[in-house]
Amino acid sequence: MTGVAGRGAADQRLVVALPKGRVLPRALAALEAAGYSVAVPEDPRALRYEGGDLTVLLMRNGDVPAYVELGVADAGMVGRDVLLEQASRLYAPVDLGFGACRISLIRPRGASGPIAVVASKYPAVTAAHLNKAGIAADVVELRGNVELACLTGLADAVVDVVETGATLAANGLEEVAVIAHSSVRLVVNRAALKLKPESLKPLIAALRVANASSDAKPTP
Amino acid sequence: MSTSQTAGIPDGTRFVAPAAAARRREALAALRSLYAAWGYLPVEVPALERFDPQHPRAAQAFKLTDRDGGVLALRSDFTPALARFVSGGGHGAPASGALRLSYDGLVWHFIDPELARVREFTQVGIELVGASNARADAELIHLARESVRVVGLRPQVEVGNPAYVRALLDAAEVPSERESEVADAIDRKDRSDLEGLIDELGTRGPAADALLATVDLYGDPSVLAHAKAAAPTPAARAALRRLQGVIEEFEDLSELQLDLGMARRLSYYTGVTFRVYTADFGQPLLGGGRYDGSLLPYAAGFSLGLERLLAAAEQARARSDERARSGDPLVHALDDVLARELRRAGVSVVRSLAPDRATAEREALAAGASYLLVAGEVVALAQVTGDAGDAPATVQDLIRLLLSDESARGRGEAQP
Repeated sequence: MTGVAGRGAADQRLVVALPKGRVLPRALAALEAAGYSVAVPEDPRALRYEGGDLTVLLMRNGDVPAYVELGVADAGMVGRDVLLEQASRLYAPVDLGFGACRISLIRPRGASGPIAVVASKYPAVTAAHLNKAGIAADVVELRGNVELACLTGLADAVVDVVETGATLAANGLEEVAVIAHSSVRLVVNRAALKLKPESLKPLIAALRVANASSDAKPTP
Repeated sequence: MSTSQTAGIPDGTRFVAPAAAARRREALAALRSLYAAWGYLPVEVPALERFDPQHPRAAQAFKLTDRDGGVLALRSDFTPALARFVSGGGHGAPASGALRLSYDGLVWHFIDPELARVREFTQVGIELVGASNARADAELIHLARESVRVVGLRPQVEVGNPAYVRALLDAAEVPSERESEVADAIDRKDRSDLEGLIDELGTRGPAADALLATVDLYGDPSVLAHAKAAAPTPAARAALRRLQGVIEEFEDLSELQLDLGMARRLSYYTGVTFRVYTADFGQPLLGGGRYDGSLLPYAAGFSLGLERLLAAAEQARARSDERARSGDPLVHALDDVLARELRRAGVSVVRSLAPDRATAEREALAAGASYLLVAGEVVALAQVTGDAGDAPATVQDLIRLLLSDESARGRGEAQP
């Protein structure tokens, strides 16, 4: 039975959690650029990519930290915005540069009245910012289209991600304050980094190198 | 949430069924005797405490009101209570020399019971009070490792020294109100956040470089040499020397690794800290370290959550059962002579009870076997005949194939 036990301990195949949606092609490209082949199945509904050098799990971006935290995935790729909101303690050794955006406080253009209600997909980040800025406002958690909250008067301001600002301008909104900058990070399970360093250290190093040589530099 | 008010048991609490309860007691007994064997004396402290806003876990306290209106709290951690007990001198031990204490019992945390966290769990741990040197640190690390072995798991220990990070923060003159942000980025190995903070603070020079380097200084003891070369102050070098001293206490370093970026709870942990992991379990099983001057002049200890330790043991057991099942004998035999030969070589062989060769082949296939030994020959069954490679012609071929296959698989997967 020694062979059996040895096999389990030597199983170093990495499991990586990736967010579905716009970030996915960039995430897969980053892995490819780092020299890891990923077998993307033909079925677009597949939730798990086997084959290739890595096992890939697909999920909502907000779920990536939980999968990595609990060790179901050894590593993952997720925006800093999500990590900040969840007060994540995960290792985040590589800034992958893509998915760059700002988390900003947004108001209708020219608004100057007091801020009493702020709507956001990021209630924790919002509350922390309001607290730091000394603004006593209620935070309403919304799941999508937070700009609408501002336009309809549900809230006096919203906190949301801004990439170019074009959507804001089109809706008569403006950024009042930048709360944080975000881009996609490689996150790593704490136990996995110590238990599988032979697999994870090369992944980290390769992603750093690939990222440094790509033109997708992180915004400062 | 409302259901917990009206039905069932509160969120984050559990019933423990008899079989699991028996395993808990067994593990607890083994841990108690481990600590007793090293001279740790058992102590008990009240589960009801006066609420203290200065308590390290005050924010997580379950609060109750006493009859006189005073606020009480359910025990959320053993260490502060033990520190109070030791400071009060009620332990009856001599005033000089080290005091070794062990404890176990329930603690309660007033938290969201999310991400598999419970609000009521059993904490088991030890404290080594009145001594502060590498030998004391090493004793705790050794016992931390053994605590995990007690339930049949293989430990992997990470050891760090937050005093090193503290020394670098001081050398870099990071303002005290920004220290926790910087330490947090280091603890998360987030080089990008750390670079941003260092830029923002305008820190430059060797101390800033040493701070940035911490995010990659983990692994085998060679990281100490890297750190030493860049350590900017005597305090930083002293912190590294202490780690070196701890490492030197161990003959076998295969289960130990260093992480110079360990910087959690920097205001509490003042010296060598450690965590223990085990393969295929994504969370630490045990954590502890030195907190000289935080609650007592010289003290260090560790605690583990019994539930988590047993969950890891249970997972490992389930996995090994699964492997044992998938490792069902690959060979069935109608030929007893050949079967004996294989068994002598260490290969498991099931004796087929079928009346004829056709039935034996069918049954062997259904049982997941790959070979049938019959009338002096080795028959490769359907599953393996499709493989490239040669079908083993003789028992000796089969032995070579099965045994080398086993070791080849182990070797193959060990490659990164």
